[in-house]
Amino acid sequence: MSNIIIILLGTSMLYVFAASRIEAYVKILALQGTLLFLLVVVDIKEINWLNIAFLIVETLIIKTIVIPYFLLKVIRKNEIGREIEPYISQFYSVLIASAIFMFGFVAAFWAAKTNAGIKPLYFGISIVLIVSSLFLIVNRKRIITHILCYMMLENGIFLLSLSVANEMPMLVNIGVLLDLFVGIFLFVIFFNKIQEMYDGNHIDVLTELKD
Amino acid sequence: MISIVLFLPILFGLISLIVKNRMVNRIALVGTATVYILITVAQWLNIQWYILPNWLISYFQFDSIGIFFFSVMTIVFASVSVYSLFYFKAHNLNANQESIYTIEILLFVTAMTGVILSTHLALLWVFVEATTLTSAILIYFEKKKSSLEAAWKYVFICSIGIALAFVGIILLSIGSRSINSLYFNDLYNRATEINPFWLKVSFAFIFVGLGTKIGIAPIHAWLPDAHSEAPSPVSALLSGTLLNSALLGLIRVQEILIRAHLESFSNFLFLLTGFLSIMVSAVFMLRLKNYKRMLAYSSIENMGIIFIGISLGKFGVFAVMLHILAHSLSKASLFLTSGNILHLYKSKKIDDVNGLLKKDPRTGWLWIASTLAIIGMPPFPVFLSKFLIVKALWLSGMSWLAIPFFIFLIIITFGMGGTVFKMAFGEISSEQPAEQRLGFSAYAPQLVLLFILLIIGINMPQQMLTLLNNAAGFFH
Repeated sequence: MSNIIIILLGTSMLYVFAASRIEAYVKILALQGTLLFLLVVVDIKEINWLNIAFLIVETLIIKTIVIPYFLLKVIRKNEIGREIEPYISQFYSVLIASAIFMFGFVAAFWAAKTNAGIKPLYFGISIVLIVSSLFLIVNRKRIITHILCYMMLENGIFLLSLSVANEMPMLVNIGVLLDLFVGIFLFVIFFNKIQEMYDGNHIDVLTELKD
Repeated sequence: MISIVLFLPILFGLISLIVKNRMVNRIALVGTATVYILITVAQWLNIQWYILPNWLISYFQFDSIGIFFFSVMTIVFASVSVYSLFYFKAHNLNANQESIYTIEILLFVTAMTGVILSTHLALLWVFVEATTLTSAILIYFEKKKSSLEAAWKYVFICSIGIALAFVGIILLSIGSRSINSLYFNDLYNRATEINPFWLKVSFAFIFVGLGTKIGIAPIHAWLPDAHSEAPSPVSALLSGTLLNSALLGLIRVQEILIRAHLESFSNFLFLLTGFLSIMVSAVFMLRLKNYKRMLAYSSIENMGIIFIGISLGKFGVFAVMLHILAHSLSKASLFLTSGNILHLYKSKKIDDVNGLLKKDPRTGWLWIASTLAIIGMPPFPVFLSKFLIVKALWLSGMSWLAIPFFIFLIIITFGMGGTVFKMAFGEISSEQPAEQRLGFSAYAPQLVLLFILLIIGINMPQQMLTLLNNAAGFFH
């Protein structure tokens, strides 16, 4: 069951490479949140109810509902055009995506061989999520896509931390979540300001400071 | 004690946010700084008392290196809080803006204190991320187009960097399965049990992540922008304390590698990026048009020097601590003085500033003296620390590296000195008003900082020497 969910997570990332509309990104973000939630429910054999409650709040409420809703509102309010405007054409993007996936699967096979005690598929797909969101951040012109891809990067890291059985202490979990939350909040504030001041939302407008 | 350090600034900040009164803001800022100084002195005298709740007590601790970094932070923070009084007056801030500034500074300082005191790797990460978030609004404080750009780059680049550092922490916990703890003490004591492969990979990630915060080349892109666009007291805090606190995180992780006998791997990374930073800074130093950016590049240079020192292991570690102290104080003094210049000339361009000594002799002399301090003229302690680092290069058998080291330093000294003297001397243009005087709080902090530096450089007090030696003794 958990393997299917993880494969769906990987597929969702593949869809991001092919998608050309920003709202699709937000929907994928919400979908990834839901999948992570299901993964937590299916997979965790934790006894500590506090930890479980926390993970459910994090995945279901924050990642699936609050942040995507927030971002969708920003997108609608600012009437951002729908195209994502990549630097490299869509075709090559998908080509690179397959290369990243190949790398991820190699990592998964390799992780299965070592006896480090990690779950191979989790490990491979989380690497795919991390690397491909980094690639997407570099490859997209619009600032809002950077925020969205940053969230996908965070999802990848969340999956990676699930691949390790070692539990982080509660305090750290809360700290991580708080940072993420404030971070997104701040991104959106600055994004709105950029929209206001520069009358545009491409990264190309931010070129005033240089040597 | 630790609970005071961590909670008092937040409390003061909340009060100043709610009350929104000018007097309260000033009391909150200077009061917190005073308490910090008192606690630093208490730590030096080895007075300890803990009133932390039990579940928090294992997460925070003053250790030998922590006390050192805390002291440096306190000195810089105290000078910045006094200088902020001038900043408030010079910019005619209303009570609301003052409150926002105050609470942001206090939260920022709390976050840095958290980084310094954390005994848990992941908690340290949380606080490093918190420093990014709390300082971002400060960088955008003047609400200009350029400062928005700087703040955006800062938040985004550092968030990505820090996210990568978290990947590193997860990888480390894969490698240290048998330890199953991320407390530094456990990691140090059982470092040899960590799988070397995972330790190396995780170090590479943490190095990139915290290196982004430290502003080491080639991941320094945010640093000149943020330092030049932030209000001058904030620039002083960024350069004098933020870079240090991220550096402390990296030093603590480096110690794990030393205990696991893998330091040859990490030392190579430190040495390479250290030299790269000095080179980048030397290349840019000659063609800069903005004096605050010049100071920012000088920070990159000094972080590079510190990295080189760290890579030399036990030979360089005392020099590293001395350099951290000396750099923080001199750079804070420079940034604060640059705030005076910005106020006098209303421009950050080097070409617009002429005849500083005629316009305001005090600012002019402070500017010159602080520059002499940062480029390492004796008797300032930067001279001593650079000298010791070159000596460490010799001792560790890499004397040939001293040649590029000196070449880059000479270029930087030439570029920086030339710019500063060009700004200080010469005639003021006729349309500008002649001599001006700023308030007391625009000069006093820098004077105190330079005075401390002189004392350290000429005749180091025993207390200071013990502090430095204890901090240096942190490395195994």
